Amino acid sequence: MNALGTLLLFPGGLALLLVALLAEWISRKLLARLQNRVGPRWFQPLADTVKLLAKEEVIPEGVHRVLFEFLPVLSLAAVLTAALAVPLFGVVPATSYAGDLIVTVYLLSLLTLCTSLAGLITDDRYAAMGGLRVLSQLFSYEAPFLLALLGPAVAAESWQITRITAHAGSNVWMLFTQPVGFVVAVIGLMGKLELSPFDAPEAHTEIVAGSLTEYSGRGLALFRLSRNVALVVGLTLVAALYLGGVSDPLAFAVKTLALLLVITTVQALFARLRIDQTIGLWWHYGVLLALGQWFLILIGKGAA
Amino acid sequence: MTTQPDSAATPKRFTIPIGPQHPALKEPGFFEFTVEGETVIGATLRLGYAHRGIEKAVVSRTWVQNLYLLERVCGICSHIHSLAYCLGVEKLAGVTPPPRAQAIRVLIAELERMHSHLLWLGVAAHDAGFETLFMYSWRDRETILDLFEQISGNRVNHSINTLGGVKFDLTAEQIVSVLKAVELMEERARYYLDLVRNDPMLGQRIRGIGTMSAAEAHRMGVVGPTARASGVGRDLRVEAPYAAYTAIPVVVMLETDGDLQARFIVRIREMFESCRIIRVLLDHLPEGDLQARMPRRIPEGETIARVEAPRGELFYFIKSNGADMPERIKLRTPTLCNLGSVLALCIGRQLADIPMLLIGTDPCFSCNDRAVVIHQAGNREKWTWEQFRRYGNEALR
Amino acid sequence: MNAVETALQTALEHLAPLNGQVTTPEDGRRDVTINAGDLLEGARLLLDSGWGYLTAITGLDHGESEGVLEVLVHFCAGAAVLTLRIRLARVGGELASLCALIPAASVFEREISEMFGVTFSGSPDTRRLFLPDEWPEGVYPLLKESPAAAGEA
Repeated sequence: MNALGTLLLFPGGLALLLVALLAEWISRKLLARLQNRVGPRWFQPLADTVKLLAKEEVIPEGVHRVLFEFLPVLSLAAVLTAALAVPLFGVVPATSYAGDLIVTVYLLSLLTLCTSLAGLITDDRYAAMGGLRVLSQLFSYEAPFLLALLGPAVAAESWQITRITAHAGSNVWMLFTQPVGFVVAVIGLMGKLELSPFDAPEAHTEIVAGSLTEYSGRGLALFRLSRNVALVVGLTLVAALYLGGVSDPLAFAVKTLALLLVITTVQALFARLRIDQTIGLWWHYGVLLALGQWFLILIGKGAA
Repeated sequence: MTTQPDSAATPKRFTIPIGPQHPALKEPGFFEFTVEGETVIGATLRLGYAHRGIEKAVVSRTWVQNLYLLERVCGICSHIHSLAYCLGVEKLAGVTPPPRAQAIRVLIAELERMHSHLLWLGVAAHDAGFETLFMYSWRDRETILDLFEQISGNRVNHSINTLGGVKFDLTAEQIVSVLKAVELMEERARYYLDLVRNDPMLGQRIRGIGTMSAAEAHRMGVVGPTARASGVGRDLRVEAPYAAYTAIPVVVMLETDGDLQARFIVRIREMFESCRIIRVLLDHLPEGDLQARMPRRIPEGETIARVEAPRGELFYFIKSNGADMPERIKLRTPTLCNLGSVLALCIGRQLADIPMLLIGTDPCFSCNDRAVVIHQAGNREKWTWEQFRRYGNEALR
Repeated sequence: MNAVETALQTALEHLAPLNGQVTTPEDGRRDVTINAGDLLEGARLLLDSGWGYLTAITGLDHGESEGVLEVLVHFCAGAAVLTLRIRLARVGGELASLCALIPAASVFEREISEMFGVTFSGSPDTRRLFLPDEWPEGVYPLLKESPAAAGEA
């Protein structure tokens, strides 16, 4: 398969987008069933996206027009680029280089930054409020999430995702050797994607749709797509690092799916945390737990 | 005296408008809070965005027609409005409904109380971002709406009441389904009570939030579950029993914490009490007629009917001049009373406390907005669709 | 004498300084007709002694022929209802606001004010409560001459 195909069709590009929409459907459907609702049909996320893309995009007064239109594109580009270095669907990633773990995490954060900025550039106070909350949340979950991903990296003595997955594949699942890191990573992923109970940045009973309040049509569609892609990339990353690396694609798909089910179930269980409670949770427990785990790994390494 | 502005000593005053369209308020009300820093120094409200002019409309309709109109004051507690009206009119006419009718009235009122409390539980959970609880409680509420449909054919405006009694009897089959529903409600209420008391995440959002002391609740004249959550035992079912409550003693559910959690707990505990009342009623359901004969013209006089609606005391003042239409009907809904009180209570509190205080009263804007005529004197032309459209466009501009 | 009657008797004793005219419209109720200037004092006498709470304020138009507008201020304590009745002129009636004493009275007063045209002096908030902003000045919908709907008059 040539390079263009890898980028545009499989595993990146089109296949990734479709799987991202599928992941949204699975998550929504399961959440609905857990809440005793019927839930959407299988093509609903795709239909939503097509509908939004076809709709008029309203650009509110008082925003920087170029920035307003550029932010969704940038965020989608960032997450699609992030996908290049992770073993999507269990196949060999399109690119691999020393330190790509850090780059991937950074690119995923770019989505959050774009979302925040999208709220802050408008005159809408709900959006501004949402933008601020997104930023506060970014500062609170980013550190523990990164620390949780670095645990496997330290164990594998590499910053390169393929090396870490290879190490993970030939050893005991890191879910068992680093359980705390796994929990922090999963919750960090939920914080990153603003999933309930960490959905204060888009609490619709308080601030409508948070930072994306003013977005409609194409911009909204792209932001939604970016978030879904980020979900798949994040799940892939956590599954590859913590659930025994990348063996055969089918087993890997099952692992990723299981992780998605876990995340969705957690969403159904809790009431939303206030933004101060979210931050408190992360800095009081998340960071300490991840750091403690890290020290244990380092001590273990030193002893070996 | 210095001319330098001292910004530290006098924090800036801001006015924060909330509504009439706001994501947290699903109903149209407009609140305006003046804050100094984070402290509220002024609070006021503006209503009327859903006005239907009912208090004016009742004087040009007959006593029987008004029964149907007043039932539509509220979309949640429709039965209790018609009940208050019937009690008042029956008092004026000197008619006592038969015992079976009185029992059925109370039965429906208690079912309605449960469905109203479940509705509030869902809305409050939704505001706290607990979507699963929202979905669960509204699913369980469906059980009661289905019962209403089975008994009367309607889910919301059931028209059970009529002047002098009730319209629908309970068949043996319906009694079985009511009992089954009551059993389910008790089971669910147990689950919700445990959840509200012990769920740590929900607890973080509701414990110690929006606290109102007993003294404050008493002084402000707060009514209903909001008062009972603050330890003020105002409940007309006990203080001034009406219909079948005269025969069935009601236990008033009291909580002393006065915070949002206490308001959750009071409402859920009241569901148990409602279940108990319904069981007692069905065990001792009197036999006999459903209606007493009512005169077409109601004798001259004025009366006050007060009943305990799900949200608190509902007050009806009815004046008859001996004709076939009322001279004046005044209604004061529990929400108006509680909103006025809560707003007065807001002064001097932190802004973050306010939404929870408001939500805790279970505000019903439909109940409030009832008393305005649509057409202005001297401007009584009929609009064509085109004129109406143009008016809409201009209003938007 | 039952508890309700006892409560009402207590209330009447508290209100004795006003020399109001007491009537019994029905069981469990007493109406005390007082002068317009005595409303605030009446409310103070009741609340200072801890008797009941302000339940509602009713406006009652007696029509153009009588030229009287009554304002009924209802206080309740349990099943006992005590009503202070004040007779006002239909046009330009004025009462002292109860807000200083009972802040929650504001909403009731605003409703009476916009529906019947009674002015409550000393009220902190005299804006409309229910009527729209563009409602014409001086048109009070619950007065008898106001039409209930288009086509009536």
